[in-house]
Amino acid sequence: MIGAGKIKQYANILEKPLGKGKQEVSLSAFAFLFSELVQYNQTQVDNISELETRLEDAGYAVGARVLELLCHREKGNRRETRLLGILSFVHSTVWKVLFGKVADSLEKGTEHEDEYMISEKELLVNKFISIPKDMGTFHCGAFVAGIVRGVLDNAGFPAVVTAHFVPVEGQQRPRTTILIKFAEEVLQREARLG
Amino acid sequence: MIVCVAVVGHQNNPLYIQSFTDADDALKLHHIVHCSLDVVDERVNNPKKSGPTLNDTFLGLLYPTENYKVYGYLTNTKVKFILVTTDLDVRDADVRNFFRRFHAAYVDAVSNPFHVPDKKITSRTFADRVSTIVKSFGLSSAT
Repeated sequence: MIGAGKIKQYANILEKPLGKGKQEVSLSAFAFLFSELVQYNQTQVDNISELETRLEDAGYAVGARVLELLCHREKGNRRETRLLGILSFVHSTVWKVLFGKVADSLEKGTEHEDEYMISEKELLVNKFISIPKDMGTFHCGAFVAGIVRGVLDNAGFPAVVTAHFVPVEGQQRPRTTILIKFAEEVLQREARLG
Repeated sequence: MIVCVAVVGHQNNPLYIQSFTDADDALKLHHIVHCSLDVVDERVNNPKKSGPTLNDTFLGLLYPTENYKVYGYLTNTKVKFILVTTDLDVRDADVRNFFRRFHAAYVDAVSNPFHVPDKKITSRTFADRVSTIVKSFGLSSAT
C-alpha cells in the first residue's frame, strides 16, 4: 500500500516520543568527570595510598551496582558459583558493558594458586592521564580495580584487587595488569566443589 | 491475592518488607518470611540435582502453610525475594513473571548512587512500582 511507510511528522518537537537512547556515553565527558574525581580526591588526602583507597572505594560502589544490573539484564537465570565462571564473566561481559570491548587477556598467576591477572594494553580510564614522576607507583586504574573487587565481592568471591603497570619491551607505554588475589575461603570452596 | 513481599539481603538482613492486607497480623507475615529464609538456605546449600537447576534464580514454591503459599527467588548477589500469597491456583509462569518485574524494580532501586548497600530500601519510587506490580499480578491470574 502506498504511504504505509510514511514517518509520522510531529508538529511540535516536544510531542516527539523519547527514544530509548543510546547505551553509550561520550568518552570525553567521562574523561572529564573522571579527572574531576581524581582532582577532588587529591585535595582531600595526605598521601598516595589514601588516594588509591578512595578511588578503589568509588569503584567498589560501581561494581556492586553493575553486577546487579548485568545479572538481571544479560545472564538470564544463572548464578555463578565457579571461580572460572565469575572470572570469565568479569573479563568479557563486565568489560564489554563498561568499556565496549572485552579485556585483552586473562591469565592465571604462576607463583600462587590464588592469583589471577587481567591485562589490558591501555585502560580506558587512563587514556588521557599521565602520572607525574613524583607520584611513583600511583595508578588511576585503582578505580577499575575497585569495580572488579565490587563485582567479585558481591558475587560471593571476596578478593584483593590491585592495578599495576607492567613494562613491556618493545613499547614505551607499559601494559596495565589488574591483579586479583582471592581469599582463602574461595579456594577452599572451589576445591570442595571439585 | 498477594499478602506480602520481602527483600532480604545476603546476610539475611531485611531490606524491604511490604504487606498488602490490613486484616492479617503483620507480625505473623514477618514470621512466615523469616521461616522461609531457612528453606531458601537449605535449597541453596543442598541442591536436589546438579546441572541446570543448580544455579537457577527462581526457587519456586518454598513451602505451603495454613492458607498461604510462599515463593522464593535468589539473585546473583545472594539477595532473596520472598512472595507470600493466598491464591490456591497460581500458575508458575505468573510467579516467574512477577519476580522478573520485581527484580527489574530492585535493580533500579539499587542503582541509585545514594542508596547504601545492605541498608533498607527507602525509595518511594520502588514502593510505588512494587504496588503496581502486585496489583497487576492479582488481575492477570484472575482472568
